[in-house]
Amino acid sequence: MAHEVDLESFKELERDIILRVLYRDQTVQSIEEERVRNLKTHLQHLRWKGAKSSSQEYKEKCCARCQQTLGLLLNRGAVCQGCSHRVCSECRVFLRKTHAWKCTVCFEDRNVKIKTGEWFFEERARKFPTAGRRETAGARLLQSYQRQSSKISVVPPTPPPLSESQCGGSPNRLQELGHFRGFNKSVENLFLSVTTQMRKLSKSQNDMTSEKHLLAMDPRQCMGHTERRSQSDTAVNVTSRKTSTPDILKAFHQEDPRHPPSPVLKQDTPPSSPTHSTVFSGGLRHGSLISVNSTCTEMGNFDNANVTGEIEFAIHYCVNSHSLEICIKTCKNLAYGEDKRRKCNPYVKTYLLPDRSSQGKRKTRVQKNTLDPTFEETLKYQVDPAQLATRRLQVSVWHLGTLARRVFLGEVILPLATWDFEGSAAQNARWYPLRAKAEKYEENIPQTNGELAVRAKLVLPVGPRMLQEAQEDQLALNGQLCLVVLGAKNLPVRSDGTLNSFVKGCLTLPDQQKLRVKSPVLKKQACPQWKHSFVFNGVSSSQLRQSTLELTVWDQAMFGMNDRLLGEAKLGSKGGAPGCTDSCSQSKLQWQKVLSSPNLWTDMTLILH
Amino acid sequence: MSDGDYDYLIKFLALGDSGVGKTSVLYQYTDGKFNSKFITTVGIDFREKRVVYRANGPDGTVGRGQRIHLQLWDTAGQERFRSLTTAFFRDAMGFLLLFDLTNEQSFLNVRNWISQLQMHAYCENPDIVLCGNKSDLEDQRAVKEEEARELAEKYGIPYFETSAANGTNISQAIEMLLDLIMKRMERCVDKSWIPEGVVRSNGHTSTDQLSEEKEKGLCGC
Repeated sequence: MAHEVDLESFKELERDIILRVLYRDQTVQSIEEERVRNLKTHLQHLRWKGAKSSSQEYKEKCCARCQQTLGLLLNRGAVCQGCSHRVCSECRVFLRKTHAWKCTVCFEDRNVKIKTGEWFFEERARKFPTAGRRETAGARLLQSYQRQSSKISVVPPTPPPLSESQCGGSPNRLQELGHFRGFNKSVENLFLSVTTQMRKLSKSQNDMTSEKHLLAMDPRQCMGHTERRSQSDTAVNVTSRKTSTPDILKAFHQEDPRHPPSPVLKQDTPPSSPTHSTVFSGGLRHGSLISVNSTCTEMGNFDNANVTGEIEFAIHYCVNSHSLEICIKTCKNLAYGEDKRRKCNPYVKTYLLPDRSSQGKRKTRVQKNTLDPTFEETLKYQVDPAQLATRRLQVSVWHLGTLARRVFLGEVILPLATWDFEGSAAQNARWYPLRAKAEKYEENIPQTNGELAVRAKLVLPVGPRMLQEAQEDQLALNGQLCLVVLGAKNLPVRSDGTLNSFVKGCLTLPDQQKLRVKSPVLKKQACPQWKHSFVFNGVSSSQLRQSTLELTVWDQAMFGMNDRLLGEAKLGSKGGAPGCTDSCSQSKLQWQKVLSSPNLWTDMTLILH
Repeated sequence: MSDGDYDYLIKFLALGDSGVGKTSVLYQYTDGKFNSKFITTVGIDFREKRVVYRANGPDGTVGRGQRIHLQLWDTAGQERFRSLTTAFFRDAMGFLLLFDLTNEQSFLNVRNWISQLQMHAYCENPDIVLCGNKSDLEDQRAVKEEEARELAEKYGIPYFETSAANGTNISQAIEMLLDLIMKRMERCVDKSWIPEGVVRSNGHTSTDQLSEEKEKGLCGC
């Protein structure tokens, strides 16, 4: 009844496709076997803990699991029907709605049976007694195919699957790695296989009928081949992610070969023969995946790049108190912050973008050692309703490691302009998938810190033409630059939407002399209107052409803290950088207009950077 | 997502005639996309998906979420790959049996596929979910819903009318199959645990209602 499937009966292209699937399955199985080993080791530890009391059985009566002394009248214990050990009442586990119970070790044994799939293999062994217990059809096919291939061609046998080397120690692992390194050196054969396949078709010795048949079949097969690859490329699953990783790591691995090949490995290198290209490419892929596994294990921080899981929170705006409330409820399926030690201490942090200051940061408590934390905390912001449309809510999840090390686990960014605060659905919590850092999204937004409106005039004294020419040198020192700082808008405001803003001006003359001025502070205004005049006396138009005027906008901090720079703009000859944008060139033109039109006011809108 | 970070590895296998939409159904489930171009599957293939399973207890409480790593095997429906694909029936814990609602012959072949399953699957009565695919092509429908439901009831298996094009009922079908498997695995393990006397003495106890929960209490006997 059990037919031996022969991969040789398929066409070469089909066999190659099937083999690639079998190698992918082998990767899945090796991960599963590692997990099964861990579960069984954990169960063994539980048993050893209980076994410590076996030597004391004759001295006193005690629980076989927690080793507490059993009483004579009270808490005498009972015998577990699974292992026939006497256990106390604390070490019993009942099934729901039944009186049947077993001790903690037997219950854990039941759980391990479920999680390792033992139930399935027991059922299968009843129907197919001769088959290997945990062996899969894919592994069996690979073995038989590799056995046949080794007979046909003079190729060293590929290493046995990991399931067979499960009992082996580290020397076997090292031998396997040696084999894989040998296969890694056959990278050229992988590229040769494509070329040789084309040559094989053209050099085919078959008759015309078979050749035409092959040519008729190949375009469709090749197209299917390409389409299948494109499909698998878009698939987001573990194997695809693992498959794409080897390219980067393989290049990294080959660029820095740490172990020079030994002469024995050189002899083991298979000869480069076109007829064996399929075998080599299959083994090569297998080797690449294995080397990737070992490399991933060594690089501890590699998995931190993965962002998984979801977060559940609700957004509510209280109109009476002008407060935005984010109710952080729970997360699930988070990635490990420290993958080696399988640790995750998550907490949630929020900002109301574009304000990224510490004043605008809100955080939850840290939940220890869980990938599915429950927070149930409400984070509040004082925001005016008008401010909501300009804000984006950023909710990010972080892992708190040792020594205050933090690992980014994912984030959600919601523009509040489109948020429906009136709808009842908005009141309820919703699940959002966590995403990686939105690097490209940030780059698309032009970086601007608002706009500054100013009015400028160069004042020169009016006199008769004759007097002006005669006393030209004297008149040059009597010029005056008047700059009225009107107001600003779209400034990066605080979390409450207000600022205590003021403007500084610095005019740098050609002889590096600096004239500094400062405006008064306007408190608690998001769009301040200073209407303050800066006057620079004793300048001439020729001097101004070589000068630079720098205007900076600041947010005054409280109680001796440093003021926060909101934005700055430059006017003058030095401002004309080669990589200047349109706004800079526009400002430059306006500035030249000020200098070329004395005694006339010129309005300018400067972009703050 | 770490590679070995799951609680269970569950293997499902999709089978049915060639062209009924096995690959498209699995692709819609794992990636949420549909490719109307028909590319015949060569031999065997599989996709993977990580899901969280929450068991509904008999008293309505929802248990803790368990992380399932689904390996969804896709088989070629063509006859020349039959010997290869049936070898993989043995590894699958549950089966999605698909037919095409616009192709009556694929529906008539459902019986043959069930016979193949009884022969090659891991046990005589594996968990199967029957899916009538391409339910969005209403004007080309060739199989009535009553006929399909009648056949499903005859074999005692659930029936869903799915559409890989718009994703109708695909998640429900696979979640139903997962639910059947999870219940079966606990039943298999707990069968050898419950002493026969206890089951007899307590008439209300049923193995179908057993579920995993750690309870500590005073000695009842």
